[in-house]
Amino acid sequence: MRGLFMALAILAALSAPAQAQETKYYDLAKGDYPHDVAVGPKGEVWFAGQKAGIAGRLDPNTGEIERIALGKNAAPHGVIVGPDGAPWFTDGGQNAIVRVDPASKDVKVWPLPPERMPYTNLNTAAFDARGRIWFTGQNGIYGRLDPPTGEMQVWDAPKGRGPYGITATPAGDIWFVSLAGNYLANVDLETGAATVYEPPTKEQGARRVWSDSKGRLWISEWNSGNVSVYDPATKRWQQWKLPGASPRTYAVWVDPDDKVWLTDWSANAVVRFDPDKETFASFPSDRPGANVRQLLGRKGEAWIAESGTERIRVIRYR
Amino acid sequence: MGVNPFFMVGLLAAALGMLLVSAAGSAQEGDAVRGERAFQRCFACHSVDPDEPAKLEGPNLANVLGRPAAQLSGFAYSDAMRNAAAAGLIWDAATLNRYLADPDSLIAGTAMSAPPVRDAQERADLVAYLARSGPSRR
Repeated sequence: MRGLFMALAILAALSAPAQAQETKYYDLAKGDYPHDVAVGPKGEVWFAGQKAGIAGRLDPNTGEIERIALGKNAAPHGVIVGPDGAPWFTDGGQNAIVRVDPASKDVKVWPLPPERMPYTNLNTAAFDARGRIWFTGQNGIYGRLDPPTGEMQVWDAPKGRGPYGITATPAGDIWFVSLAGNYLANVDLETGAATVYEPPTKEQGARRVWSDSKGRLWISEWNSGNVSVYDPATKRWQQWKLPGASPRTYAVWVDPDDKVWLTDWSANAVVRFDPDKETFASFPSDRPGANVRQLLGRKGEAWIAESGTERIRVIRYR
Repeated sequence: MGVNPFFMVGLLAAALGMLLVSAAGSAQEGDAVRGERAFQRCFACHSVDPDEPAKLEGPNLANVLGRPAAQLSGFAYSDAMRNAAAAGLIWDAATLNRYLADPDSLIAGTAMSAPPVRDAQERADLVAYLARSGPSRR
């Protein structure tokens, strides 16, 4: 009996809502619909306002929000901050890679070649070590843009539709995952060829991927509700189910201390996974239906885009 | 006896749609061929192949017109979509048009993140294409 109580206590501790050091919400304009979020070098926060077709810039100190129109038909899905300190958007509406100058707010657009596929459903992007931006298109492509020359190449993805999250390792290697294709892939930085790695769970729905400091690839699995990791050095997979009866793992980001941040739509929560202790801590939203599609941060700060409530949330942690 | 809000909205939208079509001539008539091209917007998450083998993010749209919402067994619909289905939402030309124009305005909290299809003609083309999707030919 005592063993049962102990087991219940441990289970409760593993899945109990955690006490964040500080959490704060910023309301956006109705219709902004923040899909992805990224933090700039001065702590400014950029978001992709997908339905409004804007780049949003939040000053966390003042709460001031600047909205920059990206162009006719713009519908940005992803945003990352590049090595130049600027936000770079994967804009499905314009079928283009878009950069906003952080000082002048000038917008530069690199359209994808339309003859290959007029609408690729651009998803996310990552920079390699040579400053080239790699991107995924959920309709079944991935590609590479060299910004100084404007040279762009696009390749058909293995298994067709599905390419979703993409990440760069500290060594500058590029990996992406396919949600419909259920795989992790590594691209050859010169030829563009993709090598597929199948996670152990069938039809897991690998949605997003992020590298830790050692180059291990952490994956949020939408269908299975798992977080999984692949270590290219050992060629070994591991996976853990998120807490709850039927988790839906959407987003993943690995912080500078190699703790793994995830979002779970079933729990309406951000979840932090400690790989050393193999424990989860939960940070539920204060409103239902947060629908967090992405989170990203820097040391001590996890920034979260609540598409469902049209808010940006920050969790400041130790 | 309560009035089913989706039924009433559907009736009104259908009536309004007929008026608009008669007023605007063929401007809003959908073209299934153009709709097939426009379906590239939806292709990543949806299929119109009733025998689609891939497990996609969105539900299969074969025979969607006239189908009550959240009806496919084995698909994990959002709570928002299940609630809309419980309230009587049926996918007809009017409700699909509204959903494509702004998914959240029809079903707040829907999991579908597709940007609004702002062009009315493109929406009409998409609906015409979906109306053409039929039963398995295999």
